[in-house]
Amino acid sequence: MLAEDMRDFRQRLAREGVVFCYSGYLTENILTSIGAAVKTKLSVETSDKRTVRGLFSLLVEQVQNVIRYSAETEIISDQEDEGQDLRYGTLTVGKRDGQYFVACSNLVQRADVSRLRDNLERLRGLDADALKALYKETLRGDAPAGSKGAGAGFIEVARRAASGFDFDFCEADDTRAYFAIRAYI
Amino acid sequence: MATIKIAATDRSPEVDFDFGANRFLIRGESYPEDVTEFYAGPIGQLEAHLTELSGAEIMFDFDLVYFNSSSAKVLIGLFEKLDEVAAAGNRVTVNWFHEDDDDNMKELGEEFGEDLETAVFRLVSKG
Repeated sequence: MLAEDMRDFRQRLAREGVVFCYSGYLTENILTSIGAAVKTKLSVETSDKRTVRGLFSLLVEQVQNVIRYSAETEIISDQEDEGQDLRYGTLTVGKRDGQYFVACSNLVQRADVSRLRDNLERLRGLDADALKALYKETLRGDAPAGSKGAGAGFIEVARRAASGFDFDFCEADDTRAYFAIRAYI
Repeated sequence: MATIKIAATDRSPEVDFDFGANRFLIRGESYPEDVTEFYAGPIGQLEAHLTELSGAEIMFDFDLVYFNSSSAKVLIGLFEKLDEVAAAGNRVTVNWFHEDDDDNMKELGEEFGEDLETAVFRLVSKG
């Protein structure tokens, strides 16, 4: 049973073009390790460094997004890392219809869904010049309230995703929703 | 005069600020866990130093392999500061290094460099 289950799981991933999958708590150390593994795998498959660099950028922005904002957390309070919290997310990297993609999914607060959706819809409607202008404007401005970075992660994703990106939401529980985004190079 | 030297890690760049020579360098990867924590110290000291200069020759090398959007915010702030220092009567040269085949890094340099009004901006291909 066990091997059969795992075979079925892997076959499903393969059907969807997934070459790399991680589900669990994400940390910066895990990001660095996954980044190195994905870079190595891609360097074997393609000599196009632009693809490798673009995919790496999509990976970093999406995973750091989970690390900073996932609504599924566990506070660890051992003596070395007091108060540090771990954020849960699911990451896949793969290739579909000849296009490489990075996808991430994590829980978000339901109250944040409409703001996120509006923001991503807007980004999807902007052309390269408009994205560049918004990127610089955002980098120059004060970081948005509650942001732990520049607040420009999704703009970076939109700029790097040469073949666009999809996203959606579905119900999780009373207060939270699942959020998923998949960006294509 | 002091120097600041920080060795590169997998996700943070080498920093080499030579305040005596007014030569400054950031080189490598930049996607640290906490961008503010990484950059606040050295850039705070750098800004305090630059503000006091007049008639100085200043050179800043950006030699980055990759940087994330949070680091981009720090870089754009640094470009603004360097331009201010140039406008205040210093000769400022900003060198932006990129691999010959890294169009994206080249374009990012151009995007940041096009806003410099007084500081001299140079794109440098590493071949």
